[in-house]
Amino acid sequence: MSRVRGVALLALALSFGILAACGGGTPATRGAEPGMRLLTEPQYRRIIADIFGEQITIGGTFDPLVRTNGLLTVGSSDAHITPAGLEQLDRMARSIAAQVTSEENRDFLIPCAPADALSPDPQCARLFFRDTGRLLYRRPLSKDELDAAVAVADAATTELGSFHEGLAAGLAGMLISPSFLFVIEEVEPDPDREGAVRLDAYAKAARLSFFLWGTSPDDELLRVAESGELHAPRMMKKQVDRLLDSPRLEQGLRLFFDDMLNFENIARLEKDAIIYPAFSTAVANDAREQTLRTMMDVVLRQDGDYRDVFTTRKTFLSGPLGRIYRVPVSRPDGGWMEYEFPEGDPRVGIATHISFTALHSHAGRSSPTLRGKAIREILLCQRVPDPPGTVDFSKFNDPQSPAHTARERLTVHSIEPACAGCHKLTDPVGLGMEHIDGAGQLRTSEEGYPIDATGELDGFNFKDVAGIGPALRENPAAPACLVNRLYSYATARTPVRNERKYLKHLEHRFEDEGFKVRALLREIALGEAMYAVKQPAAQTAAVNVSPRGKS
Amino acid sequence: MMSTSLFARRAAFVSLFGLLAIAAQAPLHAAANGQSMGFVVTTWNIASYETRFVDECPEGLNVGYDEYWWRSLSKPDRARYTDNGLKSRLERYFNAIRRGPNGEDVCMNPTVVKDPPHRLVESEKAYGMDLDGKDGVTAGRSCPHKEFTGIDGTKGVDNQLYRLLGCVYGFRSYGQFEANENENRKSNGKGMTLIEITGVDNPRNDPEVTVNFYRSIDLYTLDGSGRFLPHGSYRIDTYGGKPRYASQVRGKIVNGVLITEPGDVNLPFYGNYTYQNRLFRDLRMRMTLSKDGDSAEGTAAAYFDLDELMFYIGGLGPIQSTAISNCPSIYVAAHEIADGYPDPKTGECTALSSAFVFKAVSAFVVHDGAAGTMSAGQGWWQRVKEWFR
Repeated sequence: MSRVRGVALLALALSFGILAACGGGTPATRGAEPGMRLLTEPQYRRIIADIFGEQITIGGTFDPLVRTNGLLTVGSSDAHITPAGLEQLDRMARSIAAQVTSEENRDFLIPCAPADALSPDPQCARLFFRDTGRLLYRRPLSKDELDAAVAVADAATTELGSFHEGLAAGLAGMLISPSFLFVIEEVEPDPDREGAVRLDAYAKAARLSFFLWGTSPDDELLRVAESGELHAPRMMKKQVDRLLDSPRLEQGLRLFFDDMLNFENIARLEKDAIIYPAFSTAVANDAREQTLRTMMDVVLRQDGDYRDVFTTRKTFLSGPLGRIYRVPVSRPDGGWMEYEFPEGDPRVGIATHISFTALHSHAGRSSPTLRGKAIREILLCQRVPDPPGTVDFSKFNDPQSPAHTARERLTVHSIEPACAGCHKLTDPVGLGMEHIDGAGQLRTSEEGYPIDATGELDGFNFKDVAGIGPALRENPAAPACLVNRLYSYATARTPVRNERKYLKHLEHRFEDEGFKVRALLREIALGEAMYAVKQPAAQTAAVNVSPRGKS
Repeated sequence: MMSTSLFARRAAFVSLFGLLAIAAQAPLHAAANGQSMGFVVTTWNIASYETRFVDECPEGLNVGYDEYWWRSLSKPDRARYTDNGLKSRLERYFNAIRRGPNGEDVCMNPTVVKDPPHRLVESEKAYGMDLDGKDGVTAGRSCPHKEFTGIDGTKGVDNQLYRLLGCVYGFRSYGQFEANENENRKSNGKGMTLIEITGVDNPRNDPEVTVNFYRSIDLYTLDGSGRFLPHGSYRIDTYGGKPRYASQVRGKIVNGVLITEPGDVNLPFYGNYTYQNRLFRDLRMRMTLSKDGDSAEGTAAAYFDLDELMFYIGGLGPIQSTAISNCPSIYVAAHEIADGYPDPKTGECTALSSAFVFKAVSAFVVHDGAAGTMSAGQGWWQRVKEWFR
């Protein structure tokens, strides 16, 4: 008997040990205060396309966001809308509403037809606003909100003599509402932790959807949020897996990498047409697409090692890109083809793509400094200080300088004490990319002088630009950077102090899983840390949050 | 003898065009090991030697169809047909061109009127090459004719096309016809010629290469200012899996100059509303490759079929109003000075010696739309480093 008891105790002890190893492996976090953030331009566009269809065109410009912790999405938490920006948003809202209610679209975007197209039809309007408003606000509309939208539509219909124009007025009002333009996170008392709060189910659904799909929650996610089931770990797991298995994951991941790689700057990338005649807007746009396609191929389709994006020779090319890469393309009239740069070709990984080398160059020449800075800040999440205000560029830009190559010109940096500190971080790596000019084209000389393209990154020496990929792949900061950025993207904020251990844990998990991005996404999305919130400062005294959409 | 209407011949040509165009030539020999170099021809012009004071045309430039028509009218008719002189040449084209005795279009029926003789080039000098037999290739294939001295002093240069058209305003440099041709090709991509040199072991000196000619189905790659860009990809025109144009000649590269052996070559052509599959007999080419491999320019000399030439000129239409050209006199003169390929029955020559200057930029010639069969693509970087360093 005592032997049996001993075995039982041992089994119990082992069970606790295993549990401790499992549960104890994930450091707890307390999160940060719930946020309120402005939709980014890509999110806005994505949402409109998802709800109303790709046929809806969106003109106008959006207020710029301040990149924070490497992401515009994080910057959106500190954003505000300027009066000029509001004007733009208002115009967009009216334009979108007019398109949605137009004759071409109304039959499939409006769930009912008015009894009289020239008179108000509150019932039909209510049905439309109820369904559409739920998707736009990422929660059901409160009775007051719904009544208000119907009232606007009815009044406008009476004034304008057209039900659909009236409906458009009500919809435009919704599209300009803070409830649509801002992702507002609400908290509620946490039933499992007395005195603590948790994100309400809608806020959780929004975090999850924006993280994985880059857009608002869909109908199903809203439904499980509405029922409260999303708080249950099993339902959360089911939804996470559903979102991860959806083709829309690629759309979400594209938005993330587009943000992380600073690709919004490609839209305004200009090159000197005399120096780089082959560079064009088409090249720039396709360069962005090329890198995103390459990354999606590695991390999603192949479910490969994230670090392979730095060393893959496989990519996708279009006609305009073929001119810069000097590669024949099978569809010069449009379309894309898979291509693998042959052994010996220095095009290795995304850092040698046009989207990186041309983007981080000047209009008329390359820039080892900008490239080195981008390698460190964008791909390795390291901070390179801004140049001091007193910096003297005259030596560097001296037209009489006997220097012919960038390496010769940049020697100024190493002998100027004010420059040397930072340029030691940027120039050795950037100079190793000098076999690619400011437009992303290969070269071996500058002004007729051979280029010494040896480089170094954190102790990894390489002889030319083909070495930058392996240098990045072997750098432990690269996967750690992705972990940091993805977690920031998921929470739309800079990680806080109490999350450091958790981030380290994520890095280990990422490594354990073979640096597979899909597994990392799942780890983050299922982790409690992504949804953890602290009591908002204004509500510390008393948690008194009414459930949304129920008033 | 000249009763056949050009209009009917144009129609017949169009119907036969498809068949002619798909006739692919058998390869002369298998491509040697080595790389290939591709080019897309950007401009193609008659090699016209022009002096500052038009000394090559001592009687001046030719008179156009409009003036002959004008001369033939009574004063009242001039007033009637030209709205008292207010109608421009272009506006009165459709009246003027129908100046045959029964209202025939004299470009479609160039023999229905007898106009004053066409003014030929009288210069002693011309661009071109010796086509008629000194190298033995075309011996017995020519008719008696005056020969030019080349600009570089070469004797025996044959270029009767220049002799015929060198004094026609619209065919001279920057004239309406050729400017239109090049612009037409540039804007709509029709009639674009691809040159692919295969079996290249050394782009500066190679004793044996093969030169292939194709038609592109892709538009030119241009920069924002409309300049031709190198390194674009161009798919070749195929039908039933075979290239429509696939002429092939042997050649060699000497100090960066491609020199081809004579061979019959079909080239696509589009310009001034006319599409042609042009046959250039005994074509030889000298093409200078730029040191960076990005561009090339050269001269091509060949016998140019007389019927194809008149088919083209006959169809120029209202453009002639500003080009000061006259079909009937050109038709007569062309037959008189034709110097190549005598008809075995009549003994009359059926082709004109000719010379053209052209420019090209490097291009990737894409076969079958498959990356694996593209020329000049794989290992481009290595090649450039080795070749053009």
